[in-house]
Amino acid sequence: MPDFEYVRPQNMSEAVDFLKVHGSETRILAGGTDLLIQLRNDEISSPFILDVKRISELQTGIQQKNGVVSISASATVSEIILNNLINAYFPALITAAKTIGSVQIRNRATIAGNICNASPAADSAPPLLVYGAQVVIAGSKGMRRIPLNEFFIRSGVTALQKDELVAAIELPVPTTKMGAAYLRRTRRRGHDLASVTLCCAIEQTGTVRLAYGSVGPRPVLVVDKSGILVDKKASDEAKMATLESMFAQASPSKTSMRASPAYRLAMLRVLGKEGLDLAISALDELNEGEKSLNEGGK
Amino acid sequence: MNLKTVGAPLVRNGGHERVTGEEKYVADIKLPGMLESKLVTIDSAHAKILSIDTSQARKVPGVRLVMTAADLPQPVPRFGPQIEDRPVLADGEVKYHGEPVALVVADTLEAAKKAARLVHVEYEELPAAFTIEKALDPSTPLVMDPSLRPNDPLAHTNIFNEHRYSWGQFDESKAELVVENTYSFPMMTQFCIEPPAFIAAPDKDGIAIWSTIQHLYWLQKIIAKLLKLPLSKVHVYAPDPGGGFGGKQHAKYEPAVAFAALKVGQPVRLVLTLEESFQAMRRTSCETHIRTGFRKDGTLVFQDIVANYLLGAYVDIGDRVVGKGSYAGAGPYRTQAVRILAKSILSNTPPATAMRGFGNPEVNWAVESNMDEAARLLGIDRLEIRLRNLAKKGDKFIPYDKPADGDWPQTVLKAADLIGWNKPLVAGHHRGIAVGLKLGPTTGLSYSLVRLLADGSAVVASGTSDMGQGARSILAQIVSEELGIPYESIEVVMGDTSSVFYDQQTSASRSTVLMGNSVLKACHSIQAQLKTRLAKSYRLEESQISVEHGVVKFPDHEEPIPKTIKTALGSLGGEIIGVGEERKEGEKEHPLGGSASFYEFNCTAVEREVNKATGDVTILRYVTVSDVGKAINPMQVHMQDEGAAVQGLGHTLMEHYIFDEKGRIRNLGAADYRILTSMDLPKEFVSETVENADGPGPYGSKGMSEGAILCVSPAVGSSVNEAIGTPIRDLPLTPERIWQALQEH
Amino acid sequence: MEKLIPVEMTINNQHYSLQVPPSMRLLDLLREKLDFTGTKECCGIGECGVCTVLVDGKAVDSCLMLAVEADGATILTAEGLARDGHLSDLQKTFLEKGAVQCGFCTPGQLMSASYLLSQNPHPTREEVEEGMAGNLCRCGCYERIVDAVLTVSGKDGGEK
Repeated sequence: MPDFEYVRPQNMSEAVDFLKVHGSETRILAGGTDLLIQLRNDEISSPFILDVKRISELQTGIQQKNGVVSISASATVSEIILNNLINAYFPALITAAKTIGSVQIRNRATIAGNICNASPAADSAPPLLVYGAQVVIAGSKGMRRIPLNEFFIRSGVTALQKDELVAAIELPVPTTKMGAAYLRRTRRRGHDLASVTLCCAIEQTGTVRLAYGSVGPRPVLVVDKSGILVDKKASDEAKMATLESMFAQASPSKTSMRASPAYRLAMLRVLGKEGLDLAISALDELNEGEKSLNEGGK
Repeated sequence: MNLKTVGAPLVRNGGHERVTGEEKYVADIKLPGMLESKLVTIDSAHAKILSIDTSQARKVPGVRLVMTAADLPQPVPRFGPQIEDRPVLADGEVKYHGEPVALVVADTLEAAKKAARLVHVEYEELPAAFTIEKALDPSTPLVMDPSLRPNDPLAHTNIFNEHRYSWGQFDESKAELVVENTYSFPMMTQFCIEPPAFIAAPDKDGIAIWSTIQHLYWLQKIIAKLLKLPLSKVHVYAPDPGGGFGGKQHAKYEPAVAFAALKVGQPVRLVLTLEESFQAMRRTSCETHIRTGFRKDGTLVFQDIVANYLLGAYVDIGDRVVGKGSYAGAGPYRTQAVRILAKSILSNTPPATAMRGFGNPEVNWAVESNMDEAARLLGIDRLEIRLRNLAKKGDKFIPYDKPADGDWPQTVLKAADLIGWNKPLVAGHHRGIAVGLKLGPTTGLSYSLVRLLADGSAVVASGTSDMGQGARSILAQIVSEELGIPYESIEVVMGDTSSVFYDQQTSASRSTVLMGNSVLKACHSIQAQLKTRLAKSYRLEESQISVEHGVVKFPDHEEPIPKTIKTALGSLGGEIIGVGEERKEGEKEHPLGGSASFYEFNCTAVEREVNKATGDVTILRYVTVSDVGKAINPMQVHMQDEGAAVQGLGHTLMEHYIFDEKGRIRNLGAADYRILTSMDLPKEFVSETVENADGPGPYGSKGMSEGAILCVSPAVGSSVNEAIGTPIRDLPLTPERIWQALQEH
Repeated sequence: MEKLIPVEMTINNQHYSLQVPPSMRLLDLLREKLDFTGTKECCGIGECGVCTVLVDGKAVDSCLMLAVEADGATILTAEGLARDGHLSDLQKTFLEKGAVQCGFCTPGQLMSASYLLSQNPHPTREEVEEGMAGNLCRCGCYERIVDAVLTVSGKDGGEK
């Protein structure tokens, strides 16, 4: 572990002021479940580590306001799993959150950290993309928001500038019924990094939103508005052709230890089909009116 | 026999301190003035060292010593249990990815790590042999210097040794079916949750060593020789290891740490990271080419086995693994003609050590898989074909050696019954069954000390290593049974050469039998002394008193031993001391140096389903039955068999080293080397025993703990083949590999 | 030389005022500075769970936390489970069920089990398997560990 100076700002303006000066030599510490591994393995030599967990503006947890659910950057994965709002509106994110590491990891890790680490296999990424997440960023020039889809650039690289930090992730409360599912492919049932991640959501209108990861340098979001995938009258060939076109952006790593490209591409299709079926079932269930979204879920 | 303590599933001796966190493992020990150290390695599997510049490293504040081979006595001392091939630090050449080039000693671990990064090694990469093919290629550089084995005709190859066993007349014409295949068993590692750790400290005019070692007396011998000290001046402490599984049997970096400690004049500690432990120990990997000849009715005509085991850059105990593991390679069957050729092949990989099963799982994977294939081709049930060939008790299944010492068909039938072998299968489910055999210890020497104290409590001192298998409990149970004293009042002392007597080693599942018999004898000695003293005290003839199983039988009444101690000791008090010696002499003519004290036999059966879209295997029901003679502690017996199964499922389903094209290991550590978690268990798990009191140990016990790992792969593999219709002959059976086989089928 | 940072924390019901270097992990604070060697180190990357402790009641891998991050926290380690020398139900049941072999993973398993039961007093078998998946055991005690947790929760895992 290299030496560094530990900085713990009490509020956002302190944090941003520090980053303005030292941003290019600072690493952000939230849950630490990625950062501490990188420190241990000598992959980082930044002189400053900035802990965001005591920033007063980030103590908001998970809140709903003006049609948006806002997840603070310091909210842990465990807190997300237990949260009523997320369970009610974004069930696929709950499924994904439960697969992130182990219980111990989830008690510390943050979704903000998950997306900033920008692993192509980040489990939170596909559901966040499918649910239309926006990233709220604080910087010396003020606050800005960008769609998550523009936040990911490639493995380990995001649109975050050196003098910025993620303040929150916002999810628009769904205005139509949506059925969604999250699936992943791993080497064992126990906690594991994913070889393929996939989230599929189907809107009442028939629009299918599909996001997948670990099959390329960054998670991919594809939207199909044709309605073919949910059309009971459409042929299997037509459906497969549509799915295939949605997978066109997959370009798995040839050197990864976890799985070969051929297996990943095959599993992408297996998960895609399964995800689609599950999402359709989920939507059907909602439509049967057994549970209203407004009841607040579990 | 009405046993009170033996045969009871008592709570583990040594359990209290393990659940409170009080148990001190080597890495928990702090000595006054102790310094920390770090290994320096290079990122290469094979390289010639051109120069080592330690100047920057030595400047780091807190650094006390940066030791390289040049700082050691010259020529660089070498050690090893089979051949003294391993230099204390890399001597001019790095022969495996992770071989230490230097040892940095500093006031703090941080300083040692910092300095280690600043040691600059200039090296020239050499071609690395990390597969059997590469190692056997004549153009590949030799791993071992030929001068280390001067009269060996194999010295100019990477074959360290060839073991040949055979019997019977090979008459291939008698075989109506010959099944010929090649199988591979992966390179995998013990993954002890406690990585190896070592401390060395100058101790008056000698040295004290703390190590996670299994064989403390072996270590004492090696250190004494290397440091040129008398044995009496080498004090080895071996706290109970946090798992060993064979990987911690022999010395690794203790010699380096010892030399360093003497140089700095203070205690020095080295704790390996998990990644470094992968580079310090592993199982022999193996490629087995096997031809099995059968008659139409499934009976074996011949087995022709060529097993190429891949050892590491230093032999460690790897060649013994090969020799012993392949010896009974033809399995627990009556085979008319057998020919086994097993080769120990050196390579530029981490040293292959012992690992649970000791060379047998590697070959058993091949033998049992061939049995299955024959069964399929001949249209014979896979259980039936085994029963037809299985040796019965007393059969000389290896014609010149110890006959079968257990009712093996009984074990198999029990397993078959528990898995419901003949019950109809639910669609999508498949079953597999396999048997396995390994030899117990072929030689042995175990001394023990039992002290019956004045108040009826006792101390047992034993050189056995309790690394989780529960040896402490077993010995305490024997003492409790024989001396009639409460199990809880017995203190077991282990792991200290100055307070436990010589024990050869803890391996080959020997301790219940060898150390157990030794402790039994010590108890008998105490019983005899009690008899003599009580006879004197009560003015009786010794023949009028008998002392056994915790009870003193006087002419007119009986008393439990504890009630008689005060009288027996007399006015001076004191204690009654018993020393036990259990010896298994070698047999010069025997290819292994001795026949086995017992055989470990296991039958494993599974029921499983395979997801054909993804290749995922779900084990629905797992049955393991071992022939143990007598379960001294039944709970511990089941714990061992369950543990062996979980470990075996590791190499069967997910474990393997991944190399890059230069022979460097890519998946060091926990992130990309997968072992089973609590979510990967079979849905139902059944562990049972067969106990016919037919073992050579106390109360008819045999050793156990390795048998159950022998059959995991073939039992699972067999069921997988049933499911996908095509045999997979390479382990591990990862989902991707299964999916691949399905694509190609 | 790193600048030391003052921190306060309660560990096993005892208050501590300490000065720690920023790069010191909570694991090192416990093991090296305070001699709570019950918490172990194996993988160092949060995969094995052997370093699990409770921080403010939550099970975390102490190898993935800096000591400074624990400023103001209440910490419980395996050494703090027994009360007045009496083993806790979990500790006793682990022993009775044979859930301890080499014992190296045991402290971490106990901490995870404590946390699990504090969150879910009556878990199903599957919930226990999932909740304990962050603690590796190479000796293979998983089944018995799960049985022990279920037994303590009031649902017997069955005879073994």
